[in-house]
Amino acid sequence: MVIVLGLAAWALWPRAATHAGADVHDVKDSAPRKYTIRVAPGIYMPGRRPQDLGKPLDGLRDVTREFEKQYPDTRIEFTEAPVGQREYLITQLAAGQAPDIINVNVGDVWQDVQKGWYLPLDKYLEQPNPFIAKGQPGSVQWWDQFKYQAISRSKTAPDGKVYCVTYDMVETGIFYNKSMFARLDLSVPKDWGEFLKLQQKLKDAGVIPFLVDKGAVADWGVDLVFNQLYGTIVPGLKLKRDPSREAHLSRFFDWDELAFLNQKGFFTRRDPRFVETFRILKAWRQFFEKDMSSTDLTKAFVTQKGAMYWTGSWQVNRLVRDPDVGFDWGLFYLPPIPKSLSRFADGHPQCVIGGSGTQFEVTNSAFDDTHNAATSEKLKRTIAFIQYLTIPKNVDRVVNEILCFLPNVVGAEPRPELKPFDTILQRDFANSKWLYTFDLRFDEIMRRMLDLYINNGISEDEFMAWMETNVKTACETIVRRKQIDLSKFEPKWKELAPLRAGVQELPSEH
Amino acid sequence: MSIKRQKLVSTAAIYAMLTPTFGLLAVFSLVPFVWAFVTSFFDYEVGGESRFVGFDNYLEYLHDPTLLPSFGNLLFLTVFGLLIVSTVPLAVAKLIFSLKSEKARYLYRVLFLIPIVVPGVAGMMIWQGMIYNDTGLLNETLRMLGREDLTRGWLSDPRTVLWAVVFMGFPFAGGINILIYYAGLAGISESIHEAAELDGARGLMKFLKIDVPLVMSQIKLLTILTVIGTVQGFEGMFILTKGGPGFKTMVPGLWMYMNAFSFQRMGYACAIGVLLFLLILSLTILNMRYFRSSEELKAESA
Repeated sequence: MVIVLGLAAWALWPRAATHAGADVHDVKDSAPRKYTIRVAPGIYMPGRRPQDLGKPLDGLRDVTREFEKQYPDTRIEFTEAPVGQREYLITQLAAGQAPDIINVNVGDVWQDVQKGWYLPLDKYLEQPNPFIAKGQPGSVQWWDQFKYQAISRSKTAPDGKVYCVTYDMVETGIFYNKSMFARLDLSVPKDWGEFLKLQQKLKDAGVIPFLVDKGAVADWGVDLVFNQLYGTIVPGLKLKRDPSREAHLSRFFDWDELAFLNQKGFFTRRDPRFVETFRILKAWRQFFEKDMSSTDLTKAFVTQKGAMYWTGSWQVNRLVRDPDVGFDWGLFYLPPIPKSLSRFADGHPQCVIGGSGTQFEVTNSAFDDTHNAATSEKLKRTIAFIQYLTIPKNVDRVVNEILCFLPNVVGAEPRPELKPFDTILQRDFANSKWLYTFDLRFDEIMRRMLDLYINNGISEDEFMAWMETNVKTACETIVRRKQIDLSKFEPKWKELAPLRAGVQELPSEH
Repeated sequence: MSIKRQKLVSTAAIYAMLTPTFGLLAVFSLVPFVWAFVTSFFDYEVGGESRFVGFDNYLEYLHDPTLLPSFGNLLFLTVFGLLIVSTVPLAVAKLIFSLKSEKARYLYRVLFLIPIVVPGVAGMMIWQGMIYNDTGLLNETLRMLGREDLTRGWLSDPRTVLWAVVFMGFPFAGGINILIYYAGLAGISESIHEAAELDGARGLMKFLKIDVPLVMSQIKLLTILTVIGTVQGFEGMFILTKGGPGFKTMVPGLWMYMNAFSFQRMGYACAIGVLLFLLILSLTILNMRYFRSSEELKAESA
């Protein structure tokens, strides 16, 4: 019994810091250091082979070794933290045991900003990056280093603070089989009508016209179609102006605005634009793969069972490096919905929904040496490490090692294969991000019921009843948790009345 | 040392040995239960502020849109589970028990027990990936037979998902349940069988009239375990369908978990947990009260 307990204790005893996480150090370099910074680097984890293709990554390892030479008292330790898992994140952050630097979708961070789990980074971003030479972008303000300024600054949370450093960019696009298009005499569609006709032709030819993950439909699909139908009436509804986010999010509805508009009847069954948003998605569904849950979409595209594949820029890595891709492929973006297809649309270009692929947030663990951000030496090194990572040549070594994301630092150019996404990223941002930035319970219910609705599991009436309740509950939760006073928007609402005067089919308040 | 004192010392020693066990039980089972009960009266978000809301969480759950579908699913799963657990393993146990050769009986007991070494999660993933997948056994068989029109996402089609879930583990013949029934059958005195045969009982009639009533203790045990397991369990749905599509396979336990750890509505999740506890308690009491075992029946008739 004693032996068993002893062995169990030995097995469970935390390993020394030098051996935990991904090892970036030589065996001889195992001397104890005063500060250990734990980093969850996401896709750039040293030693990983993204999508099981190419050589194991070592860009971040090399950069880290150089940083450690400059900071001999500091050790950087990489960890495979499942930060995408909300359960993991919440428990670790609540206990103050999360990695010091993590990469989490900014919307997820916004959910918890009132809890003090993340460190606001504004003051660091407004100061020079000490690793940048005088006269170079970043030598006056760290902010100046970032290439996609608008998107980076739009990561400002609704409380007005910035909690992340936007390291790279990701965007979605429709990958299409050029060879198949040529064979069937098809061309890239210019509007939604052409887009539907194209998909019908592909279906008639016996291929799956459009491969898409059901989560993407609920996330990207809803946002883009919503933007097409509400885009023209945004000026009469936009209640807030925020100079720090204006450049990119001037048309974006925050949760408090959505809650106020919901009180006015928007996003209910009485709001025909809202109903139409989901109707359009349902009509599109007939062209997707039959089983939206278990179909291997990449395989279906690579084996030419599917003609188009709506996915993110990370798929370039696969398509370029996979020897089984025996056809030419191209990329285009979703075409606009013309007025002839929906009375609420006006044919304006589809907006952009991507943003940062990797964003570094600093957690409350980063100053656990003094439990005070103002006096923490560990925090200084944590910030320094992120600053060091954003030196252009380091960004190039880390981000461009794989063909997934675009560098977000001036002086680090994207790989040529990813250039089309750079063009897409110049578009206007969406009016909303219903998923991730609104309410977590809302996300879950909307994903589920939309899945059921577009797969003929429930009627439109049932679906809209669910959505109406879902939006209402989410708004009530947000108002309660964030302690928002919605009455503050009333004067602005009245002020915007002339802009709404001529708009047809606005919902009634009751 | 007086006898009284000796008794006292011996009792104290027993309590001393029990204390660590009880302490651990208290820390990991009883305290969390009390904490959950108290928390169910608060609007508590992890890392956020906690606010007393009385019975609001309970009242909200009564109006929760998942309440009816999830309890409907739970009822279906429980009834199906009870039907299976009270028939297939018992029949298999009887067949093994009826074998003449002791070696054969041993061999079959082992063979039917072997599947339990495969973790339940692995079993589910095999069904999910190899049988119900788009390119799994079912769809590929249908394609081979030229019936592409019948192929579907077995776990994503609202019409098939619940049946697909309950049929996982088909033909339901492996596992410890067979051994439990086998032990029950082995405990029936040979003289009872001989007496029944003298009275003309044969085959199925003998099985239904003699064996089944005499393994009622085992049926009762497995009924309680199945009910508790079904009401508490959600890991299967979590792995296979996450309760979807929509809420077609949602169960209260999974909704409780999601509220606690995904939506950070810890108070609300605790309220669901308390209600599930009360449900299990009630069902167990009903079972104990109205479902008599063979020993109890014997005692009553004596």
